[in-house]
Amino acid sequence: MQTSRRGALALSALSALAAGGASAQTGPAMTLTMACMNDPFATVLARLAPSYAERTGVRVNVDILSYPELLSRVTADFVGRTRNYDLCTMDIVWAGQFAEAGHTIELSPLMQRDAAEIAVDDIYQAALLGIGNFRGRQIAFPFAAYVNVLAFRRDLFERAGLQPPQTMADLVTAAQRLTDAPNNIYGWAANGRRGAPVAQDWMTYNAQIGGSILGPDGRPAINSATNARSLTVYRDLFRMAAPPGAVNYDWAARHEAFRQGIVAQHQIWTISIPSYENPEISRIVGRTGIILAPTAEGMPKRYGIGGWGLGINAAIDERRREAAWGFIKWAASAEVQRRFLDANVGVFTRRSVVNDPALRARFPFFSVVDESLANGDADFRPRIPQYPQIQDLLGTAVNAVLVGTADPQRALDDAQARAARLF
Amino acid sequence: MPGIRLGFTARRRLFLVMIGLPAVLYMVLVAFWPLSQGLAYSFTDYTLTRPGPVNWVGLENYADMFADPAAQRAIVNTFVFTLAAVGLQLLAGLGLALLLWPDSRFNRICLALMLIPITVTPLAVGLIFRAMLEPDFGILGYWARVWGLSPARGYLADENLALATLIVIDVWEWTPLVALILLAGLKSLPTDVLEAAEVDGASRFQRFHRIILPMLLPAIFLALVMRSMDAFKIYDSVFVTTGGGPDNATNVLMFHAAKIGLEFFQIGAASAISTFMLACVGLLSVSFVLMIRHAERRLGSR
Repeated sequence: MQTSRRGALALSALSALAAGGASAQTGPAMTLTMACMNDPFATVLARLAPSYAERTGVRVNVDILSYPELLSRVTADFVGRTRNYDLCTMDIVWAGQFAEAGHTIELSPLMQRDAAEIAVDDIYQAALLGIGNFRGRQIAFPFAAYVNVLAFRRDLFERAGLQPPQTMADLVTAAQRLTDAPNNIYGWAANGRRGAPVAQDWMTYNAQIGGSILGPDGRPAINSATNARSLTVYRDLFRMAAPPGAVNYDWAARHEAFRQGIVAQHQIWTISIPSYENPEISRIVGRTGIILAPTAEGMPKRYGIGGWGLGINAAIDERRREAAWGFIKWAASAEVQRRFLDANVGVFTRRSVVNDPALRARFPFFSVVDESLANGDADFRPRIPQYPQIQDLLGTAVNAVLVGTADPQRALDDAQARAARLF
Repeated sequence: MPGIRLGFTARRRLFLVMIGLPAVLYMVLVAFWPLSQGLAYSFTDYTLTRPGPVNWVGLENYADMFADPAAQRAIVNTFVFTLAAVGLQLLAGLGLALLLWPDSRFNRICLALMLIPITVTPLAVGLIFRAMLEPDFGILGYWARVWGLSPARGYLADENLALATLIVIDVWEWTPLVALILLAGLKSLPTDVLEAAEVDGASRFQRFHRIILPMLLPAIFLALVMRSMDAFKIYDSVFVTTGGGPDNATNVLMFHAAKIGLEFFQIGAASAISTFMLACVGLLSVSFVLMIRHAERRLGSR
C-alpha cells in the first residue's frame, strides 16, 4: 500500500514535470475560480484568461453571474468557508459589508511588496481609495472604475440652440425646453424603479446638488433640508421632463429609451457609452456627446465614481492566495486595460491608459474620464456596512415620492427614522 | 444478534421498519432538518455578514415583520395575488379543458400550442411582458398609452393596476397547466355514466353540474393546491417587472424575504418570513381540502 502510493506520487510528479516542460510554464499549475459580475468586462476577461494561463500555468475559470446571484453566492461561499471561489469582483458599495465580515484578505502588504510591478502611482487615487479601500484596509484591488458622466443628444441641443449643461440649473432648463411630449421627445431621464435603480440615481443627482446621505458624523442625515429640496427638484423633473414610463425605469430601460431616441440627456456610467454607437441596437449613432456631470453652481468639483474591485477569498490557503494575487496584478494592469479597449470596454483605473494620445484620438470622451477621476467622489453612495438597508429605504421612499403616494419631506423623515435604527 | 431470539411478529415488524427507514431518514434529512433549522433561526438575530455570537431574540423577528408596513402590504398583496390568479386560472382552465375535451385533430393542435407559455421560464415571461408593456417604447404599452387605454405611466407603474397586471401575466402563463390537469381529469371520467345521463335526458348544464363537476373534484383539488403553492411564492416576475413597486404596490412575501435574506443577509428575519409563508401555504392547502370535501358532500348528496 505504502509503496504503491509512493509510486503514484512519483508518477504524478513526473507527469506534472512533463506538462510543465511541454508548455514552458513558469509558475505552478493551478486552477482558480473567479466569481465575476455580468458587466461588459466579464466576457472579455473570460476570453483573455487563457492567455494568462499559457504564460503562468494558472488557469482562471471566470464564472459570470448576475448582480444578486454574485452577491448571494459569494457571501454564502465566504461565510461558509466552502472555498468555491478564490477571487471575486466586489462592487464599490459592498466594501463596508465585506470589510466588517472579513470576507477578503487585506491586500496592502502585497501591494507594498509589489509596488513597482503594479505601478501604484499610475492608478487614480480616487479609484485606489474608493474601490476596495475601507477605513485604511485595502480589501479589494481597483479593477474597473466607472465614471458618472452626462450623455446628451448633440443634434437636439443644437437644434434648440442650447449649450450642453454646465450646472444642474442648466440641466433642468434644458430638460424642460427640450421636452416635446406630443412628438415623444423628453428632455431628461433617470431611473424611477423602486429599489436600487431609483435609490442610486437619486443619490447621484443629490450629491451633485450638494446633498449627502450621511452627516459629517457618519450617521444618517437623510431628511436634511438640502436632500428634501433636491428630491423635490427630482420629482418635478420626472413630472415635467421625463418619459411617462420613467418611474419604472431601471438602467436597461433608461439606456433603451436613450438609444430609441426619445431622451435628450441622462447621466450614465461610462461602461454603457459604446452601446450608443452600435447601429444594430441604437437609433442615435453619431449623435451623442459625453460631458462632465453637472454640479450645482459654485460647488467644488465632485464627480461620482463607481465600479468593481477584485478581492481574494480569506478562506483559501497561502499558495492559492499568491496565485490569485498574480492574476489580479495581471487583470488590473495597463496592458490588459488596453486589450479591454480593443473590445470597446472601458475599465479606467490607470492614468497611462486614459492619457494615451492614440487612445484619446479614438475615444474623445477620455478627457472627461480623466477630469472626473481626478476629482472622483466614491462616497456619494455611502460605502458602509449598512448600505444595503439604506439603499432599500431610499429605493422605496424616492419611488413613493415619484409616483405621488408620499411627499418629499415626509418620505425622507420616515426613511431617516428607520435608518437611524440601523446605527 | 446472538442471544436475542425474535418471534415471527417481531421479525416482521422489524422488517417493515427497516423497509420504511430509508424513506423516513430521507424525509428527516431533506425536509424536516432544514425546516426545523429555518424555524430555529427565525427566533435568532443570525446575520451572515456580522461575525459574533447568534442571540436568541424570541418572537422579535415575527413582531418586526407584522409591524413593518412594507411586510404588511406584502402579506395582503401575496394573498390577493394568489387567490385572484389561481381563481382566474381555475375558471379559464376549466373552460379551456371543456372546449378541448372532444378528441379532434384541431383540439390536439390547440393543446400543443397552448402549452407554450408553460415552457417559458417565469423570468423570461416577466421580461417579455415588461418590454411589451413599456409605455414609452413597448409594442403594446406605447399604443395603449397613446390611445388612452392605459394610465400615463403604463400598467406596471400604476399603483392601482400593477398588481392586477402581474395577475394577468400569471394567468397567461399558468392557465394552460390548469387546463391540462383538468383535461386529464375529464378524459379519465367513465363514459358510461355520462352516456347514461345523456340517455336519461339530462341537460348539458345538469350533466356538468351533477355528474362532471363532482367527479372532477380531485383534479380541481390538485390544480388548486399546486397552483396556489406556486403562486404564493411568486418572485421572478415581480423581480423583473416592478421591483415590488410602485411604492409597495407589488411587494410580495417571497420578494420581501429574498431581499432581507439575500441582500441584507439577515437570516433570522428572513427565516421568520419564510416560516410565516410556510404556515400560510399549509393553511391554504388545508382550507382547500375542507372546501373540496364540503363540495363533494354537497354535490354528491343530491
